[in-house]
Amino acid sequence: MGATVTKRSTSTRGDVATDDHVAVEHPWNVVVWNDPVTPMSVVVVILRKIFQYSNAKATQLMLAVHNEGRAIVWSGKKDRAEGYCVQLHAHGLHASIEQDA
Amino acid sequence: MGKTTIFIRRRDGRIEVRLNDYGRTFVRDLLTHLMDVETQADHPWRSATNQPIDPASDADDPLWVLERERMTSSHAELALMTVDDEFLTDAEAWAWLCALQNVLRGVSSERGFFSDTDVERASDDALSDVRLIQLLLFELAEVVTA
Repeated sequence: MGATVTKRSTSTRGDVATDDHVAVEHPWNVVVWNDPVTPMSVVVVILRKIFQYSNAKATQLMLAVHNEGRAIVWSGKKDRAEGYCVQLHAHGLHASIEQDA
Repeated sequence: MGKTTIFIRRRDGRIEVRLNDYGRTFVRDLLTHLMDVETQADHPWRSATNQPIDPASDADDPLWVLERERMTSSHAELALMTVDDEFLTDAEAWAWLCALQNVLRGVSSERGFFSDTDVERASDDALSDVRLIQLLLFELAEVVTA
């Protein structure tokens, strides 16, 4: 039995953005800030819980927060960054989002 | 893993709370104070618990702000409901950790502890509650990861 294949045109020249019109959105960073009272072990367990990071990665990020005053703990789309930031706030950490320069 | 004395992970998975009456009253008062934040616009802890999501923006998305309020309140409510319990589930212990961490940020903000120097210069009196909350959090962090 023969099959009839209909070739569909995939050309939508008018809809395809040219390089001039393509705007690449820079990723959004979730930043955790240092504060003078939060125990280090609490930061680690919260990062592990929210982002499912390994103990080693969460500890590395916590130390970056402690030593440098802040650390980017996640990067990606804005709505997910906002969601993670809200979770960090609800867990009591000092956090915010910013768009990558 | 350090040895804990207030929160003990039992072999059946439950977390035993060995807080005396003074400790439970202390925690209950703090959690009640945390619950008040959402209903009192001028609450002294409000700036710590309602921080901006995107500081570069004029206003945050109100849906995210509501979601944060819902999550913070549910942690505080669950912790408050179980404050007299002898044993906690993992979910309840997490609620205690989240609520007490929010309490810690509220108390430290109210007392002006924004840097290591602020803490170093603080009196023992001003620090006593902070140290006690930190002790509870240290132990909770040990048992929730056990």
